Amino acid sequence: MEWTKQFVRYVIVMILQVLLFDQLQLWGACHPYIYVLCLLMMPITLPHSASMIIGAAAGLVMDVFCNSLGVHMAACILLMFIRPYLIGAIVNDKDRLNEQISSRAIGTEALIKYVVIGVLIHHLTVFSLAAWSFSHIWFVLLETLVSSIVTILIIIGYNVMSYR
Amino acid sequence: MQTLLKILLRYSNFLVFIALEVAAFLLISMNNAYPRSSILSTANDFVAWQHAQISEINSYFGLKHQNEQLAAENAALRNQISSMESTENDAPIRYENAKVVQMTTDRLHNYLTINRGAKDGIQSKQGVRNEDGAVGIVRTVGRNYSVVQPLINTHTNLSCRFAKNGYIGTLQWDGKDSRFALLTDVAAHMVVNQGDTIITSGLSAAFPEGIPVGIVENSTLKEGDSYYTIRVRLHTNFKRLKYVEVIQNAHQNELEELTDGMD
Repeated sequence: MEWTKQFVRYVIVMILQVLLFDQLQLWGACHPYIYVLCLLMMPITLPHSASMIIGAAAGLVMDVFCNSLGVHMAACILLMFIRPYLIGAIVNDKDRLNEQISSRAIGTEALIKYVVIGVLIHHLTVFSLAAWSFSHIWFVLLETLVSSIVTILIIIGYNVMSYR
Repeated sequence: MQTLLKILLRYSNFLVFIALEVAAFLLISMNNAYPRSSILSTANDFVAWQHAQISEINSYFGLKHQNEQLAAENAALRNQISSMESTENDAPIRYENAKVVQMTTDRLHNYLTINRGAKDGIQSKQGVRNEDGAVGIVRTVGRNYSVVQPLINTHTNLSCRFAKNGYIGTLQWDGKDSRFALLTDVAAHMVVNQGDTIITSGLSAAFPEGIPVGIVENSTLKEGDSYYTIRVRLHTNFKRLKYVEVIQNAHQNELEELTDGMD
């Protein structure tokens, strides 16, 4: 049941990503990848290797839509590899981490920290790999900053709405 | 043996991580080489079909502008026909009409997807233009759709020349503004004026000679430099691009075979 819910959420988020967020042409540097929401919010009980394989698959699907073969895949694998260590570093009380990652389970402050760091790692990797050179470094950093802000706000907004 | 297994098990997560990342980087390096797999790009039928639906909806919002553009294109074509009737055309070139179903203009590596593919005779490396001028080069070909790498992609290099005296340069994009590109490799001894016309050189198989590319916006020559930095205002307005023509040169394969392995 839990996995059906996860999958339905992923499909809805991908539709929003492709139909809405990929069409944005704001300021030339705003390319939020809101699909990381599904990766960040996956239950922490998932085995580490399995979560990386799911990340790879989600990244590959995004790459097909962006003509950027491998870029999102590499970023998602990295994100899913770091995820357990990130949670371990942020959350002190491991007992509260039973299944879900939510503000109720780990606290609002920890949740925001987790989302901000996770999204920044993912977006910075995506934009750096897509540019594939240091000559665009300022553009890459600007793109990361602007896009991450939008993605972070949307993921936190989603959490606020679903756990009220 | 048992210790080895224990070590492998202990670091299995890290090994899975490394294996997956290696696969991803292989895909990235594959992506920078010709020919690309059409399934894993927007030339994929399913993905392109979705984009086609979105562009169908969007196209209702630009009908007036589209009509004006089509009328202008018709006029230009009629002119072409009349000039062709009077002169013998030696280049066996066909134009295939296509609609742009998906495009980005604000990234470093922009691509556009068109609704023509292998079944319409589209091949990799064919040139793409619209009524204003050069647009880009076909990169990946699917059965019904293709992906075009436009001039506004930092990977693109296009051989161009000055219309006035035939001097050759290479057109590249700096990733900043979709209206401008840079012309490089133009030696300092040439006189470059604002407003000079830049056309395709005909040195690559993709474009015949003389397709308009843009006009010189400004040029700088720093003390001690032996090459100009020239900013070219592109004729093609990529932000409003809806219809393009793919240039099908019957001699393209032969030209490519001859030049293959020379670079």
